[in-house]
Amino acid sequence: MSNAQSTGVASKRAYVIAIAVILFFWQVAAWFLPDFLMPDVHVALQRLWEELNSAEFYEGLGNSMSRLGIGYGAALFFGIVLGLVGGTLNAVRSTLKAAIIILQSIPSIAWVPLFLILMGFGNLPIIVVVAIGAFFPTALSVMNATESVEKVHISAARVMGASKLQMLKRVYFPAVTPELITGAQLAFGNAWRALISAEMIVGFSAGLGKSLAYSGEIADMTGVMTNILVIAVLAAVIDQVILERIKHRLLRYQYL
Amino acid sequence: MELQFSEVTKSFGDLNVIKQFDSTIGTGEIVALVGPSGCGKSTLLHMVAGLEQPSTGNLRADGQSVAKPSPKRTLVFQEHALYPWMTLIDNVALALEFQDTPRKAALPEARKWLARVKLDGFEDYYPHQVSGGMRQRCALARAFIARPQVLLLDEPFGALDALTRMTLQSVLKDLIEEERPTVVLVTHDVDEALYLADRVLVFSKRPAVILKEITLGHIPKTHDLTAFADIRRDVLNLLGIDTDTTHAVDAEGEIS
Repeated sequence: MSNAQSTGVASKRAYVIAIAVILFFWQVAAWFLPDFLMPDVHVALQRLWEELNSAEFYEGLGNSMSRLGIGYGAALFFGIVLGLVGGTLNAVRSTLKAAIIILQSIPSIAWVPLFLILMGFGNLPIIVVVAIGAFFPTALSVMNATESVEKVHISAARVMGASKLQMLKRVYFPAVTPELITGAQLAFGNAWRALISAEMIVGFSAGLGKSLAYSGEIADMTGVMTNILVIAVLAAVIDQVILERIKHRLLRYQYL
Repeated sequence: MELQFSEVTKSFGDLNVIKQFDSTIGTGEIVALVGPSGCGKSTLLHMVAGLEQPSTGNLRADGQSVAKPSPKRTLVFQEHALYPWMTLIDNVALALEFQDTPRKAALPEARKWLARVKLDGFEDYYPHQVSGGMRQRCALARAFIARPQVLLLDEPFGALDALTRMTLQSVLKDLIEEERPTVVLVTHDVDEALYLADRVLVFSKRPAVILKEITLGHIPKTHDLTAFADIRRDVLNLLGIDTDTTHAVDAEGEIS
């Protein structure tokens, strides 16, 4: 336990140092480049503060977060279902896995033109692209984990008279949870990238990606850097704080 | 519950594991299957549990053909069969929950059974936090809580040190005396077989056939097995272990 705590402190310190290093290099670049190409860090932070006090910012943030939430949530749900079902069906498993590996290699942003025409200009194509990005790593990790659930754990449930549903809920699901979480964190990275790029391309209503693309179009470099800052901080907070916390909660037994 | 094997054979592809097994195990009888590892005795046990089907022949429990697992015939595995994501009490209660006992009713019962195997105070520990011996005590509680009519034991104490193993053999013996299920024990520990069983079946190498059947009867026994020295020597010889003392002296003489 003390070990886990000390590594926690060490990794926090590592994050603080890493952030300082990144900001330092940004500032160095700002010193050498003219202001209209690269703003100073404090200028961007000042803009960020102004943004945080504007309703417009929260509208964009809200839009982006709900697209992410719906897309990522749907991807987790369907990924878990397909992973569990696919992992237990020996007949289709290898084919399914091959299909996922092929589809996964397509960058999710490449689907944008297709869905834009198919579903029309709006929220839906963005959400679907986010979901596609997150779905494959989730399904693949759950499927791989389902396949390697210990035989004795399955046999034990069978001799205790578990029904198929009980087996899925009480044995398979908790057994695959550690890999599921790793997959879900990977999936979050994909979903986040897909969200920002899809918003930049589609440009439908306010959103973090649209705001970034717009700043670029009007050559507002302070706006560009501020948006990048927001995107980076949000991703780190969601992944390192929220997802890590859920992971510790779900895998409590491993940390005792 | 009476177990009846008639001309049971089992092969996996070209591999003949069990050849023509005929036997009847009476209700309440305690039978040990002893043999070299990989001889197919575990397969026999898995067939009784309903986890495997005979290739040819018939296996009946109280006249009914065994087609699938049933909580009436429960199996205790060698190790790692407890679920690592559940506390000890949840592991034990699960056996009842799988039979649709509500959790509220299952928990007090599980607490009682943990106390019967001297694990009171460890209810909320996870399996990896307790010793191997305690894990197997918990596994016994999980098997007995469902009041099985047939208790199948697949080298239940094979992974434990000699002293812990003897303690657990006593725990098991007491539980069997109180609950009186029909017991089939697979082991390669001859002393374990002699101490626990009323009847010992000695198996050959694969494909398994019975080399010898020893009926001890249901008599009180302690870990002092000197009264069974002749039988023990006999069984060891059948398993290819040398017990000839003159031989041993010769060998020592050669070394010095």
